[in-house]
Amino acid sequence: MYDIDGVLPVDAVTSVQPGTNLLVVGAPMVGKHELALELLTKGFDDGDGVLCVTTNDSVAGLTDSLSQRGASFDPDRIGIVSCSGQESSGGPSDVATEFVSSPNDLTGISIGTVKILKSFSNRNISSIRHGILSVSTLQQYLDTRTVFKFLHIYTSRVRDTDGLGIFTLHSSTRDSEVVNTLSSEFDGVIELRETADDVREVRLTGVPAAPRTWCTY
Amino acid sequence: MTQPQSRPVVLVVEDELDVADSYELWLADEYEIHRAETGEAALSKLDDFAVDVVLLDRMLPGMSGDEVLQEIRERDHACRVAMVSAIQPGIDVVELGFDGYVTKPPTREELRETIERLLARSTLDEELQEYYSLVARRSALESEFSDEELVRKADYRTLVERIETHRESIDASIPDLASDTEFVGAVREIDALSSPDDEHDGTELE
Repeated sequence: MYDIDGVLPVDAVTSVQPGTNLLVVGAPMVGKHELALELLTKGFDDGDGVLCVTTNDSVAGLTDSLSQRGASFDPDRIGIVSCSGQESSGGPSDVATEFVSSPNDLTGISIGTVKILKSFSNRNISSIRHGILSVSTLQQYLDTRTVFKFLHIYTSRVRDTDGLGIFTLHSSTRDSEVVNTLSSEFDGVIELRETADDVREVRLTGVPAAPRTWCTY
Repeated sequence: MTQPQSRPVVLVVEDELDVADSYELWLADEYEIHRAETGEAALSKLDDFAVDVVLLDRMLPGMSGDEVLQEIRERDHACRVAMVSAIQPGIDVVELGFDGYVTKPPTREELRETIERLLARSTLDEELQEYYSLVARRSALESEFSDEELVRKADYRTLVERIETHRESIDASIPDLASDTEFVGAVREIDALSSPDDEHDGTELE
């Protein structure tokens, strides 16, 4: 089981089954990235590995964000596939890193994740939390069809390897159909929103024991 | 999945004749077998006719198996390539772009399974394409109609069932994504940058 106790404001949800894929959806700036990082780093206490595919952040920046969460942060248990195309080397030397030239190189991304998983398994780290940050950027480089196909394969990979998959996606009313289509590939969806009076709320769908109502976050 | 009218074509690239003989003996019932003893000969056969699966020995005289694979990718041949090697392959097999591998000496069953897996994968992109179209269609209906309206719509219910059937069929063609070669091979199929097939034209139901 993957411990996520206390990350979400829902007492009933303290852990998720191995092989689960969750999509974090919400408007830009509503805090999806931060929530995804919380879900990923919660596993440090249990010795889980964290494998991030980042399309935006630099390796150093992402490592920094990860290290600020979770008291038992350990660079040896982080792997990053950087595909922003902004950098091709560098980052902290103790973090396993693979560079891919562009977010549209899906084969390169998948090979990068395989290499990092290999380095985890060589060190007997078998529970892996995957972060795909973000699906929205993949969508800027690829058509929705291709992103959908990739998500089908990647979520199946997470399922078949008993991992935990955390994916982030921007939403707006304009593209609710696309969000709905992509959501179908996930076991659960975590929606984030901000009310008119600046209250942040979260709603879980497809997560066992979760209420289907908006909760203050 | 539809059965092809003719038997799938397999090219055995192997310089040891007795080894190639036994592969041919094992596989000729089910597949149309062609043989090449060198990488150069294999490439010229690939230029001449369509091949579904190449069983490529890694240690060849002249061009190595790795070089042959690279050339196959550069020439955009629409075939899947399994490496056959006595050495237990490492991560390099995935990086080089092999679609699968068989450890030498293979059993008849191992060869057959590898070929069948690669044949199934060659339809993966098309199946995912169709599956995506159905899911997109469902999303369109869901945004247009309320839940109460949808339960009364027969075409919506049919669509939901078709989606389920498609998903099961796709998951059956990628049964073991815990395998690194299977996973990268599946992604390569849908990656427009490196897919062995030509890009499909859009068949979205919008």
